[in-house]
Amino acid sequence: MKREVAIIGYGALKIGKYPEKSDNELAIESIRLSLEDSGVPKDDVDGLFTTPNYLDRMGLQLSTIAEYMRVSPKSMAEISCGGTAAGLTIKYAMNEILLGNIDIAVCYGTETRRSMIEGYYKGKITNMFEPTTQPHISGGTIWAYACSARRYMHEYHAKEEHFAMAAVRDREAATKNPYAYFRTPITVDDVLNSTILCTPIKLLDSSAARDGAAAVVLASKDKARRFSDAPVYLRAVGEHHDNSLFVPTDRRDKSISSFTATKEAAKDAFKMAKCKSNDIDIAEIYAPFSPQELIIPEDLGFFTRGGMIKAIQDGSTEIGGEIPINTDGGLLSRGHPAMITPFYESISIIRQLRGEAGKNQVEGAEIGLMHCEGGMLNNCMVFIFQRG
Amino acid sequence: MEKRNFRHPQIFHSTEKFWLGLRDRKFLVQRCKNCEEIFFPPRSHCPKCLYNEMDWVELSGKGTLYSWSEIHIPSRNFDVPYVIGIIDLEEGVGRMVSKIRARVEDLRIDMPMKIDYEDAEEDLTLYVWMPAQS
Repeated sequence: MKREVAIIGYGALKIGKYPEKSDNELAIESIRLSLEDSGVPKDDVDGLFTTPNYLDRMGLQLSTIAEYMRVSPKSMAEISCGGTAAGLTIKYAMNEILLGNIDIAVCYGTETRRSMIEGYYKGKITNMFEPTTQPHISGGTIWAYACSARRYMHEYHAKEEHFAMAAVRDREAATKNPYAYFRTPITVDDVLNSTILCTPIKLLDSSAARDGAAAVVLASKDKARRFSDAPVYLRAVGEHHDNSLFVPTDRRDKSISSFTATKEAAKDAFKMAKCKSNDIDIAEIYAPFSPQELIIPEDLGFFTRGGMIKAIQDGSTEIGGEIPINTDGGLLSRGHPAMITPFYESISIIRQLRGEAGKNQVEGAEIGLMHCEGGMLNNCMVFIFQRG
Repeated sequence: MEKRNFRHPQIFHSTEKFWLGLRDRKFLVQRCKNCEEIFFPPRSHCPKCLYNEMDWVELSGKGTLYSWSEIHIPSRNFDVPYVIGIIDLEEGVGRMVSKIRARVEDLRIDMPMKIDYEDAEEDLTLYVWMPAQS
């Protein structure tokens, strides 16, 4: 029998602020919740995979957790690759299961203000950029997304209102998601009148870093059948890098109003899952700023180029629409613990496919797509999940 | 306290000539001695063939404005707001990120731009781009 992989459990803390808890405590709590949800005893976990946590500079984070919960995995890895790290732990676990090396894996991660400030933000963020870019930059990575937004406005006649509508859609979903951090309703005018960060991006067009911890349990089909009534099968993973670092500096035929890596990753994922974009019932996309909420669905093939401008106005991407996107608030309103956001995105899809999404439930959702990215969409991953 | 309005870039032996060129008001890029690819930004190896010996050639310092943003986020190092842009180089060798010297109301996507130079500190000169008509 062909080996297949399913996600059979998840655990996540509400995104928020946890200054009184250590990162290890947060990690253990999310793992405990995920094992409880899956019904898997901890001794059956034979793979343990995590995202980088720069508080632990010796790379012994997994040893700490293995000791903490007294498990002896036969496969473990801390995987670092920018924003796709959490997605890569899932891919790594999936491959280990497909190879037959392990049967059950837990992928988890934490991100806290502590880990961000003391870990990678302290002096390191500017060094992400190409040296000729470094002298000119302040304020993190927003400038790049802002330039992407401006180019998209130029090419497709998008207005700032259209970006604001995506932020409002996300917030509307978040008001009904108990796990989301930003739950106060907002209007398009609120977004347009919020503090300017990097034109045309304003405060309410932006995601905000918050603390979080999340875990998912993956299992081979055999084990999934034994432990779970509602396995969610991992049908495909596509991954691509566009050989750029933030802005494509090497050639002028590359775009920032459309992202090659997303398009290519989606193409590979659809091929592997033997499906098309119109077979997808729901999607989670990794858009740290509202303009990319318009660009990415076009790259995934849900709409033609520039087509999201109409779609954001006519409700096509809302719950009940043609392709509901970010049904629990997205990065903008759920909160964005950067390194582990893809876990929260996956959990959002799993909850939908298991029919547990409450007031945000998309009726009959069977196939879900999860997109995540690193850099400015320079490396992208697209996952396709299917209800078992 | 007066702000520096720049950050010191990472400069390596392989890229030093680029930064020295700016001091002489020259915009130098590399040409691979093996495959003749002309490329920006400067680096130790040719991105096309990975050969590690390069000549330096001077570009016109002309280009067009691919996109831009006005940065308002308060910063320890920079007076805000200031404009950052992406320039498409005229010779087609690529794009570069740069501070832009212009009023935002004068900026149009794809407008012609030209390079200028600013001495940041004694031995560091940086480029800035501005509308070609100014």
